[in-house]
Amino acid sequence: MGQLLQYGINGLMAGAIYALIAVGIVSVFKATRVVNFAHGYLIMFGAYFYFTFAVLVPQAAWAPEWLQSWRPDWMIEMREGLPMFSPLAAVLDWLANGPRILLGLAGALICNALLGLLIERTLMRPLMGQSVFAMIMLTVGLISILSGSAQLIWTSDAEFVPALAPNTPIRFELFGQMIFLFGADLANMVIALVIFAAIVAMVRYTKSGVAIRATAEDQSTAYSMGISVPKVFSRAWVLASTTGAIAGAILATRNGISPALGLFGFSVLAIVLMGGLDSYLGVFLAAMIVGVLEALAQWQLGGEWAEIVPYVAVLLVILIRPHGLFGTREIERI
Amino acid sequence: MITGNLKSSYATDEQVLNNRWKRLFLWLCIAGLGLIAAFGNNYIILIACQMGIMLIAVTGVNVVIGYTGLMSLGHAAFLAIGAYAVVIFHNAAGAIIPESLLTLAAIPFAVLVSAIAGVIVGLPSLRVKGLYLAVATLSANFIVLFLIEESFSAPWTGGVNGINTPTPNLLGWEMDTRREQFVLIATLAVLGLLAAQNLFRTRVGRAFIAIRDRDYSAEILGISLYRYKLISFAISAAYCGLAGALFAYFYARILPEQFELHLSLMLVAAIIVGGMGRTMGPVFGVIIIVMVPELIKVVFGALAGGGAELAMIRAPIQEIAFGALIVGFLLFEPFGITQIVDRGLRALNRWPFARG
Amino acid sequence: MLSVQDLHLSFGGIKALQGVSFTARRGQITAIIGPNGAGKTSLFNAISGFYRPDRGKVVFDGQDIFALRPDRRAALGIARTFQNIALFRGMSVLDNIKLGAHTRLGAGVFDALRYFGRAQAEELALRADIEARIIDFLEIDHIRKAPISALPYGLQKRVELGRALAMQPRLLMLDEPVAGMNREETEDMARFILDVQEEFDITILLVEHDMHLVMDICSHVVVLNFGQQIAEGTPDQVRRDPAVIEAYLGAAA
Repeated sequence: MGQLLQYGINGLMAGAIYALIAVGIVSVFKATRVVNFAHGYLIMFGAYFYFTFAVLVPQAAWAPEWLQSWRPDWMIEMREGLPMFSPLAAVLDWLANGPRILLGLAGALICNALLGLLIERTLMRPLMGQSVFAMIMLTVGLISILSGSAQLIWTSDAEFVPALAPNTPIRFELFGQMIFLFGADLANMVIALVIFAAIVAMVRYTKSGVAIRATAEDQSTAYSMGISVPKVFSRAWVLASTTGAIAGAILATRNGISPALGLFGFSVLAIVLMGGLDSYLGVFLAAMIVGVLEALAQWQLGGEWAEIVPYVAVLLVILIRPHGLFGTREIERI
Repeated sequence: MITGNLKSSYATDEQVLNNRWKRLFLWLCIAGLGLIAAFGNNYIILIACQMGIMLIAVTGVNVVIGYTGLMSLGHAAFLAIGAYAVVIFHNAAGAIIPESLLTLAAIPFAVLVSAIAGVIVGLPSLRVKGLYLAVATLSANFIVLFLIEESFSAPWTGGVNGINTPTPNLLGWEMDTRREQFVLIATLAVLGLLAAQNLFRTRVGRAFIAIRDRDYSAEILGISLYRYKLISFAISAAYCGLAGALFAYFYARILPEQFELHLSLMLVAAIIVGGMGRTMGPVFGVIIIVMVPELIKVVFGALAGGGAELAMIRAPIQEIAFGALIVGFLLFEPFGITQIVDRGLRALNRWPFARG
Repeated sequence: MLSVQDLHLSFGGIKALQGVSFTARRGQITAIIGPNGAGKTSLFNAISGFYRPDRGKVVFDGQDIFALRPDRRAALGIARTFQNIALFRGMSVLDNIKLGAHTRLGAGVFDALRYFGRAQAEELALRADIEARIIDFLEIDHIRKAPISALPYGLQKRVELGRALAMQPRLLMLDEPVAGMNREETEDMARFILDVQEEFDITILLVEHDMHLVMDICSHVVVLNFGQQIAEGTPDQVRRDPAVIEAYLGAAA
């Protein structure tokens, strides 16, 4: 039982990150009707950008000392004499990394946003109004381009990247069981959930959210009603690539950086379809369910089994409910 | 200009090769294959075999994506099934069936197993369309590879380390050189292509196209969507199974990683480049998809002379080129090379009276 | 031939059909008319099997077809055309018409892959049959190889009729066969419909807004309004029915 709780919580933390990745796929789909098969590779770029600005740039010869490690006098004073695993020490170490974490996040956000814009402008926009099949296949082609480019640009081996939050171990008791987690994981989950909620609120309550929903409903009508559909498209792609940047940064701290990060996109794609493509709520639930199931599979069956959980889950859900858990079923008019 | 196209019977009007130029073209192609088999050097034979195997698989993918309009991103799974089916069949039945008949039994077995797997993977197509199906097949790809790699199947499949493959033996003819195997591959590829062409002259193929173009309208004509979608999946999986079987015979060892998503994407890329829903589409597509990386290899070889620095960046560049091919064709020539060829032939046909 | 009994159909809260009952008699032309949104096309879709009605009965030639899928109903001999032409735009006229004959052919997958032999014999016989019976009859021999997308609207409608005829149906359902046509095209189509009835001995059910056409060629008329059947009878009876006049012209008339 204690184990179950522990793995369940681990699963929820992983699920939150899935949800953050999924939000990018869902937003692009809602606005453009295109399912981005290359989203995982956008995330991989986010991770590499974070790595570049949080590790490579501060290491450069021309970078100021404090960027690499910020240690004002008061911090050195406080740090002295603290035991190995003290939470305060973890917080101070994190603060010392603060400048490069911020630089890394900012760099990843900006660069990924530009990348998203570039993709939308040069590749997706010319196909606007054409068959969705072509647009989806285009994202499939994008997979190879992005993954090849990443290998060309970042030839250096994966290195340790600073975590987004103090990585202090946390222990607490829940229903009489000791639960053990890392502070960074908890913070990642909170970041993911906050961003997810913010985006849902944005789409639901703001003007540009209405524009996205109107475009999703009927592109040409939205266009003729004065909604700038191309702008909606770019916004959706920027939204996807920036959330992807944060997800990439988180994944980089959790799993390390490698071209294999792109594969995350496929399992999240499965999750998105399982949830229902255009339903944030459904996708959120699916992400959490898959996160927990993966953690349980890892616990009971081993790591390889965890990898195929999303694919098995999506197949089962699709067979029973073809449009996902909460997806809208399109009524066909004949 | 092609003249004298008057027909005097419906039978001649229904012919596919309805003028002598087309017939000449077919015979020239077959003669070309014969020349390769007789005089091609090892490198040419190797490339031609790769193309032949790919061609069979892509012809199958064309049936399901190009003609039936069901998007699939998981056809590498059927190649894997076909390849492993052959190896397992050889290992299991080797003691019972005489050596000279083993291959003749193993290939149909692989095709059959793949076709059955195709029906199973195709089941979601009854409920979902378009991209749901793409993801369902993609999932199937991951799951099939997982099942091959898992420890419970390792005794038969060799798990992640792969397994050695047998040499084909046709009625005592042991095909232990690539040149001999090329004969087998080329024959099956040509037959496969002709069979696919035939399919679309009859009610079965027409039903596929009807489902692609307007499924409710197909249903009203009495076409059972359930049955024909599954048939389409089964046929395409059977083609891929055949390709997989030849793949297993061709290489000394097969590994699960050879059948990963990348291969599925390559199959799809080939029909996008070649032209979806056209008989010659797979042919053009496979030539490009196989040749472009080879050309890059040759160029790099000339530039670097084997330098390690440049060799490092060759693989990423090949990958980018592959993606750029898909993207470029979708943006600028969405109907693929067949469209370019059609345009050229039309212009040629009207020349010198009109251009274009 | 076809009898519909007490058919109810609803989408969510919207009641598309409420208790529609009528019979289309063998060899006759029955029209279904009514204002826009009266449920005519819904009724067609319910008869051809796309919509599953909530309750009621659809009996075709003595057989209850309520539970059959559309393709099974087609195999029994129900053909239809669509309001907004549902031809296969990428295919030629000939291929479209050949598709109509799908259920009458028997070549299986293996025949098809081999082609020579059974499939070829069947295809050639089909071609000859289509040429003689349909292409000649509908006067579309000049466009048989043309792709559908290159044809004008009126011809597309005619090809769609040809495709339905290729099924050799016993019941032919035409959804607004002359919608959007000019006077001349309408007259051509009316002539074809009458010829079909005469030559092929087919029962015809049609939905149409063109009252002249309906009154001229139909022997039986069913009037729908807001999903309810408000009148049924010969054209003359229906024309004088006060409920029909009210539905079309409003209470003041």
